[in-house]
Amino acid sequence: MNPNNYLILAAILFTIGVYGVLVRRNAIIVFMSVELMLNAANLAFVAAARNTGTLDGLVIAFFVMVVAAAEVVVGLAIIVTIFRTRRSASIDEASLMKY
Amino acid sequence: MNGESVVFWVSGTFAVVGALGMVVSKKAVHSALWVAFAMVNIAVLYFALEAPFLGTTQIIVYTGAVMMLFLFVLMIVGVDSSDSLLETIKGQRLLASLFALTFGGVIVASIASTLSSPSAGLAIANAGYGGHLQAIGFLVFGTYLFAFEALSALLITAALGAMVLAHNERWTPRKTQDQLQKERTFSNHVTPLPAPGVLARNNSVDTPALLPDGTTSIESLPNAFRGEGQVSKSNSIEEAGK
Amino acid sequence: MKVSVEYQALAPIIILLASGVLSVLVEAFIPRTLRRPIQLMLVLASIVLAFAYVVINATAELAGDPLVNGGQVKGLRELAASGSIAIDGPGMVIQGIILLISFVAALLLAERQIDPQGDAFASRSSTLPGSEDERQFTAQGWLQTEIWPLYLFCVGGLLLFPVSNDFLTMFVALEVFSLPLYLIASMARRRRLLSQEAALKYFILGAFSSAFFLFGAALIYAATSSVNFSTVAVAMENSSQDGLIIPGIGMIAVGLLFKVGAVPFHQWVPDVYQGSPTPLTAFMSAATKVAAFGALLRVFYVAFGGMRWDWRPMMWVVAVLSMVIGSLLAVTQTDMKRMLAFSSVAHTGFILLGVISTSAAGLSSTLFYLLAYGFTSVGVFAIVGLVRDASGEATHLSQWAGLGKKSPWIATIFALFLLALAGIPLTSGFTGKFAVFTAAIDGGATPLVIVAVVASAVAAFFYARVIVLMFFTEPPVDGPSVVVPSALTTVAIGTSAAFTVLLGIAPQPVLDLVINAGLFIR
Repeated sequence: MNPNNYLILAAILFTIGVYGVLVRRNAIIVFMSVELMLNAANLAFVAAARNTGTLDGLVIAFFVMVVAAAEVVVGLAIIVTIFRTRRSASIDEASLMKY
Repeated sequence: MNGESVVFWVSGTFAVVGALGMVVSKKAVHSALWVAFAMVNIAVLYFALEAPFLGTTQIIVYTGAVMMLFLFVLMIVGVDSSDSLLETIKGQRLLASLFALTFGGVIVASIASTLSSPSAGLAIANAGYGGHLQAIGFLVFGTYLFAFEALSALLITAALGAMVLAHNERWTPRKTQDQLQKERTFSNHVTPLPAPGVLARNNSVDTPALLPDGTTSIESLPNAFRGEGQVSKSNSIEEAGK
Repeated sequence: MKVSVEYQALAPIIILLASGVLSVLVEAFIPRTLRRPIQLMLVLASIVLAFAYVVINATAELAGDPLVNGGQVKGLRELAASGSIAIDGPGMVIQGIILLISFVAALLLAERQIDPQGDAFASRSSTLPGSEDERQFTAQGWLQTEIWPLYLFCVGGLLLFPVSNDFLTMFVALEVFSLPLYLIASMARRRRLLSQEAALKYFILGAFSSAFFLFGAALIYAATSSVNFSTVAVAMENSSQDGLIIPGIGMIAVGLLFKVGAVPFHQWVPDVYQGSPTPLTAFMSAATKVAAFGALLRVFYVAFGGMRWDWRPMMWVVAVLSMVIGSLLAVTQTDMKRMLAFSSVAHTGFILLGVISTSAAGLSSTLFYLLAYGFTSVGVFAIVGLVRDASGEATHLSQWAGLGKKSPWIATIFALFLLALAGIPLTSGFTGKFAVFTAAIDGGATPLVIVAVVASAVAAFFYARVIVLMFFTEPPVDGPSVVVPSALTTVAIGTSAAFTVLLGIAPQPVLDLVINAGLFIR
């Protein structure tokens, strides 16, 4: 099997994540899409680690998981705060500021 | 077709299905479950990629912690919160689809056009450190030590941030048992207050208890239900008799 | 296998992160009323100490090549922490700039006299805006002192970001300084809903762009089998995997250009600058931009230096778009903070000219521009925070009419900052633009410089419009007034104004400094 297949799979997952961020309106789902993008990047790192025969990619993927966990905590805290203020999680309603 | 190819095509397809399921689900809970499904399949791919440690971590951290945190927050925000799939900016979905297709197409095409050398495998790299876990341990606490230390700052930030945004403090000092006891002794109610719904027609928490003279007792209600228009009215004896 | 940590070289970063931890302990164990002064002293002391270490490192006399300069080398130039951090001249200059700006911004964050209710942050950001709880906390004078540990972690991350020498450390540093910023952005005392929305937008777009950065790094790693900049640079020379490298460079650029706020990744800038508490805006607009440009320079000079013919066209487009769109949109704004936000987008374009030059002159002129712009930006937002009416800051342009008649001093200093942003001679802005434009012409980017000069002219129009509005129109009857701040803000504004003037009339010592800083090490 072509080892680059894993990279292509990662790119596809990443693209789906990008699409999710662009079209979904619910902040929580948008955020899930970002998590999917991070997962895709991790998959690319792990695949590249084996393709190149180095271990750095595995460690990076490990670190990214920690970063993602911290990011989720902060992001969800902000979303919950806004929800308590507005009783809504739609990013469209968060538009007091005009573009 | 060897074993690895089978795993790749099955789990890879599932991962893509999970990702697509997240994007198209109307309800946030369904999206979360689809993502969890995709993440489990990515974990399976890690096992196939000679990274059992990461595969395990992926399941524990992502499906076990991150997605569960998402579900908790969905519970707070309301499980029913469904997303309006209507476009608010005209043509936005079309533009987003075009952008995503172009972007994905370019990346995939350019990866596919790259000549791939056969996979080197991790056996030699692992052997250099005396084993897979030893190797990861050395990199985490050696080469990337400073990034690892900086991660601790990140975790403290996250904990502090969650506390600051979500933890409410008291602005009045907490009453001591002594104070509570004195308050009660010198109040008009030495005996316990009636519970909501006592002697009334129903016993829901917003129904005030009836006193011996047939009037209602507002003290029987929890604070949250004492407001104007929140007290249930149809509970007096006269009404019950009608 | 022995692991060594170069404590001397890493001291500034370690000091900031360690004080952050200490600051969390202060939150936990010190009585509430004592926290603010202790935290403030801790923050200022650790910034001063870190700055002292940067100076010590930058002036250290070391033994070097015996054939050059009599064997004496000035300033550290070493790869620290197993090669994942590079302490070198430009890196230390950027760390110094960040620390100077952080010191001034800390004074602004601590200001308590501008708002009659307290500082610029909510008394408790966990309470609902307008609730009884919030009223009580405010009446009892509670302060959200947790911003200080967050601030220290943020500055620590900012110091690490421009000296990271591999993509992993850089990604971690990016998150270490971003997460506190997202949090503090949501804590404004006034107009909290606006501030929370700013935080949400900043967070979503920030996480989105860091995912791009990460995927780009993964592609580069797949092509070069390393994430270390020095190794990547060597591996790229003889790599045949352009199909991975080119998209990788592009996606890393997206992540970094987002942080500096370049068009087309600038959508967050006006909203976040407008919604965040103004002292934080002052800090973000200056320090984050400096650190992000430091990282951008390192990535594109060290790791992708050999590929410059591939990435320069892309940077040309981004620079032109930033200058043109930033300047044009700034003209149409009616809100002071939004106008300054778009002007900061335009400035990003100007600074990118220095990056594109890919020469020693380009590097040194960019460093100079960052210092000059950083201080002007802090000063300008500090003054925006002073003009208030009953409901808080008065940021609508029409409310600024006739300010020169009511408060001639503040209006004059504000005009000085605006002239510096416009790049009028005898201000720091002129010296910076001149240096960057010269470097760009030498680097063969003359058409870009022409665009930049035109954009500067457009920009000068809207700065001049504000000055005219302040000095040559009558003040509205019930217009806002300028609050008299405490010594903290006065010192901050004074320092910024002094830098703006000094770098304009006597820039030579600083120019020498940035030129002597030399190049990035590999």
